[in-house]
Amino acid sequence: MEMDIKRLAKLAKLKFTPEEEEKYAAQMANIVAMVEKLPDLDASGPLIDPDNPMEFRHDEVEKKYSRDELLANAPEVQAGCVVVPKTVAE
Amino acid sequence: MELYRLTAAELSRMMQKKEVSSVEVTRSVFDRIAKKEPEIEAYITLNEENALKKAAEVDEKRAKGESLSSLAGIPVGIKDNICVKGLPTTCASKMLANFVPPYNATVIEKLNASDCVYTGKLNMDEFAMGSSTETSFFKKTKNPFDTSRVPGGSSGGSAAAVASGEAIVALGSDTGGSIRQPASFCGVVGLKPTYGSVSRFGLVAFASSLDQIGPFGRSVEDVAMLYSAICGKDSYDTTTVRREYPRFEEKLTGQVSGLKIGIPDVYFGQGVSNEVREKVMEAAHRYEQMGATLVPVTLPNTDYALAAYYIIACAEASSNLARFDGVKYGYRTSNYSNLEEMYENTRSEGFGDEVKRRIMLGTYVLSSGYYDAYYKKAKFTQKLMQGMFHEAFQKADVILCPTAPDTAFTFGANSDDQVKMYMNDILTVTVNITGLPAISFPCGFDGKGLPIGCQLIGDKFSEQQLLSTAFAYEKAAGGFDLSRTLD
Repeated sequence: MEMDIKRLAKLAKLKFTPEEEEKYAAQMANIVAMVEKLPDLDASGPLIDPDNPMEFRHDEVEKKYSRDELLANAPEVQAGCVVVPKTVAE
Repeated sequence: MELYRLTAAELSRMMQKKEVSSVEVTRSVFDRIAKKEPEIEAYITLNEENALKKAAEVDEKRAKGESLSSLAGIPVGIKDNICVKGLPTTCASKMLANFVPPYNATVIEKLNASDCVYTGKLNMDEFAMGSSTETSFFKKTKNPFDTSRVPGGSSGGSAAAVASGEAIVALGSDTGGSIRQPASFCGVVGLKPTYGSVSRFGLVAFASSLDQIGPFGRSVEDVAMLYSAICGKDSYDTTTVRREYPRFEEKLTGQVSGLKIGIPDVYFGQGVSNEVREKVMEAAHRYEQMGATLVPVTLPNTDYALAAYYIIACAEASSNLARFDGVKYGYRTSNYSNLEEMYENTRSEGFGDEVKRRIMLGTYVLSSGYYDAYYKKAKFTQKLMQGMFHEAFQKADVILCPTAPDTAFTFGANSDDQVKMYMNDILTVTVNITGLPAISFPCGFDGKGLPIGCQLIGDKFSEQQLLSTAFAYEKAAGGFDLSRTLD
């Protein structure tokens, strides 16, 4: 099993140095060898749990939080908004 | 007698009779923390000032004659992945080192309603990913029985604090054994409840279809009391189940006469140490002497269980942890020139190695071309395993087996070999992927004096049976011996 560490890292929004890539490739190969031990099953049919239907809430605001409280954890805030790097090109 | 040594049930009775106050109990626990914490390092955040204030409030309510819950004024430790408003909730990660939740988890709202006192936030493996608490960004918690050994994980801080008297009881969370294995390693009782019986609202998500919050205590009665206080339907967690939950501590009969106890051979086999096997079988025979019958049952192959578990858990983790992007909360890198780079550097600097490995595995099994081979197959294996347990429960009322294949290991013993570390979970993960409840209680010591845990697995919502069966053992054994860790 060949794992494309670079591609997976990109998908997972992670970055590795070449040394880390090598280390991860070796470790991931061992882990994948472990998780490959699955029985051969007829993988078809439904997977839902009919005994446990989910109950949804009405779409109404219940808990109330202040904007300032919620933004207190954001790394950068300006005028009540979170700040991120520019996302559109000039 | 130092108050921190007593159980929640004993302290509760004393407080009701006004023999002691909550302030005295809380003071005793913080004195104990001051003495033991430099050695054990169970806590990430201590909450002494608020705790003493709350204790004084409870004492005042009691003095006024208000009717209070049995947990009122009891010092409880909280695993650091459960949100307590105003207290840092770090998940033992650099990523959330500065995160202070603006809300309470539902279990905390429930414990507030019971007037509990919070000692602080307990150490754990980063994002609950690990079996030794060694992956914490902040510190390494020591096993109170032998400080050269790990307390287990991921709820290692919770187990070590309860065992050493640094908390009377504690909350943990169990995704693949994270309550039961540390309970086993630290000689205390830990319950992983049925999936859907305790709300996950405010628990930082690892694998949402497997995570459950549960209690730790030094007696079965304490675990029952804490479980009664936190369980129940919650409209903020759609997976919780509406049903009647009794006060479990009032249902501890200690009667096992006529009980059929299933013994799964495969869970006593390969990889399980001789000492663990012998002690757990001794516990089984003790039940037999009390009138229970032992019956053989067939359970899923442990290799399959471990494979399916790591696929499902990591797939869900890779999705759940996508939210940590340095925008709304948590760590943000200072090194970036555009959005993409900010995401990548934030996540690469903020997460530790084990978390990255699991995100990578989850991304892999969900990626195009591999989904059917891994994730879908794992979900069908899960269904197969649920069927096997269903059959086993036609023959047995509860299933008895070891909690972990061996006793607590030394620091670093498994750190370089992930697969070896993951093998610690072979006896606990099946319970999570089948959604069943299970309890671990101490059933003796190995030659090195380290505790061994016995696990009882029950059918869905059979907590009453599990707690009562474990209570029968505790009574017959004359209690659990924590004299070495409480002195």
